[in-house]
Amino acid sequence: MPTITRTWLAFAAIGTGLIHFALVIGSPLALGLVLAALGLVEFGWGVLTFARETLVAPRVALVVALVPVVGWALLLVTSSVSEAPELAASFAFLPLAVASVFELFAVAVLGVHLRRGRDPEAVPVFPSVFRYLLGLAVGAVVVAGLTTPALAATEAGLFSSPHGETQTDEPYVLNLPEHGH
Amino acid sequence: MSKSPNRLLGVIFGAVYVLIGILGFTVTSGVSFFATEGGLLLGIFEVNIFHNVAHLLIGAALLIAGLSNVRAAKTVNSVVGAAYLALGLAGLFLVGTALNILALNVADNVLHFASAAILLAVGLGADNSRTVTAKA
Repeated sequence: MPTITRTWLAFAAIGTGLIHFALVIGSPLALGLVLAALGLVEFGWGVLTFARETLVAPRVALVVALVPVVGWALLLVTSSVSEAPELAASFAFLPLAVASVFELFAVAVLGVHLRRGRDPEAVPVFPSVFRYLLGLAVGAVVVAGLTTPALAATEAGLFSSPHGETQTDEPYVLNLPEHGH
Repeated sequence: MSKSPNRLLGVIFGAVYVLIGILGFTVTSGVSFFATEGGLLLGIFEVNIFHNVAHLLIGAALLIAGLSNVRAAKTVNSVVGAAYLALGLAGLFLVGTALNILALNVADNVLHFASAAILLAVGLGADNSRTVTAKA
């Protein structure tokens, strides 16, 4: 796998891990434990992907990336079919949408990697330094730009917002024009 | 130096952070050292004097390590990256509180996360012994 792609994969894993970990706050205990474990595994896998030259357990990683997306999709479908919007509303939309984008990216990259097969003896080729840093900067800016608003939209982020600056939750309030009496 | 991603990144980031630290003082006149609301650098990033000093120190550390050798640059990049990741997370909780002694705002948090990602990726992933660098 090209080094820059592997780095983007690590960025995606770390971003997803942070979002899942932030979702622990405000979740029921059992779900919170699952999210915490998931977040830690994803974050750890991301760091290992940076540090090692080969991917750690790519098949398991593919499944771990896919399960939360499928689970959330099923929840949305169930919520819609059973006309129970409170089911889908139990999770904030933006954080899980961003996490799903990262996870689907990881699934695609890992899927291609596994389909091509790998040579365990192959020495990874490092790109030219400028190309590497440029590729890295693009990935970092995209992931940071998506992860930060996603984290801010979690219960933890909303809880920490200052009272005078909570623009994020303002659009959800329906302001009807006042009628004269 | 240009053959080592860690050294090159250390020098570039170090120089940029030192520059940001110096420029920060142009928007913090009348702002106290630990003020929770500072001036806006480039109209986006909120800074106070403590934040400027932190930028200068971090920039200097990255710059010196980048100019020294690969091992120092790799270590400092990784440590500063981890610190920025922690600060990015803490910043989510600090914005708008009395504990916001760095005068952080949302744009600062994005910048800190992006810096953390780049520094950690290069610090942990580049200049390992078993990689082969492309000539192009």
